[in-house]
Amino acid sequence: MAYPAEQIEELRPYCKKVSALTEGGGVFLHLEELRLPEECEPAVCDGLLRPLAGPDGYPSQLYFSRQVKLPYGRNWNVINARICEKNWFAFSWKRTSGTSRLVGILREHLAALTQKS
Amino acid sequence: MESREGEVDIFEHSQRGQDVPDGLAYRVRIDGEGFRIETRHPTGEQLLQTVHKRPCAFELIAEFVHHKNDVVEPKEQVDLRQKGLKGFITAHREIVTIFINSDPYQIERGQRTVAEILAKVGQSPEGYDLFEEKNGPPMPVSPDRPVHIHGCEIFHTQPRSGGSS
Repeated sequence: MAYPAEQIEELRPYCKKVSALTEGGGVFLHLEELRLPEECEPAVCDGLLRPLAGPDGYPSQLYFSRQVKLPYGRNWNVINARICEKNWFAFSWKRTSGTSRLVGILREHLAALTQKS
Repeated sequence: MESREGEVDIFEHSQRGQDVPDGLAYRVRIDGEGFRIETRHPTGEQLLQTVHKRPCAFELIAEFVHHKNDVVEPKEQVDLRQKGLKGFITAHREIVTIFINSDPYQIERGQRTVAEILAKVGQSPEGYDLFEEKNGPPMPVSPDRPVHIHGCEIFHTQPRSGGSS
């Protein structure tokens, strides 16, 4: 599934490069050098956005190239998952909004990095 | 008393108690530094821009001889030939303007909470996330951390969604 060019364009300010990757029939957006919120360490790491529902039951997922240090504890339930030839990390977070716009999905996942619960 | 390619120095005329003659441009002191202004009637905003400041964070004050000061509003035009005008100073506003979802709102400068900022648009941290555009794309602001407001900050809000599962 291809995403509209204008929606991909909206992601570009958040990272150095956006590219689409596919694996197992799913489409992922590789966000190279993704900017993270101020309280996170590191400030930048690679991200992998899966905008649609997957076998994990989440309506979307944002994977990180490393386990990010966050202001609040999170249940990092994805450790070194091998996706698109790279290892990825993710914490348990379920989006409940119905937004399908890529930048909206990304912002919700980024906001989850700074929230208490 | 013209110099520098037809510039009239308004400070020098004010010190001599003289009327300011018409000129191609005017030498105007802002915060003690001289600038060339090429119109007789600049607005407050134009003068602030000259010193790379914006009315959402700073106000402009006209200084006259005999210690008389007047605040110049951003859209107000100043007559640089008015007698006694020495120049201008800038001052950080106490009540500054911030932008939320593209609309301007007034708020007190200093440490503010996310709840105070969201309240300006009738929202709360329970229902909305706050994002700030600062040297890049809008990034989330932690609802539990104070936000330092200087003026001119740009915020966006988005309905809050999701939680740990």
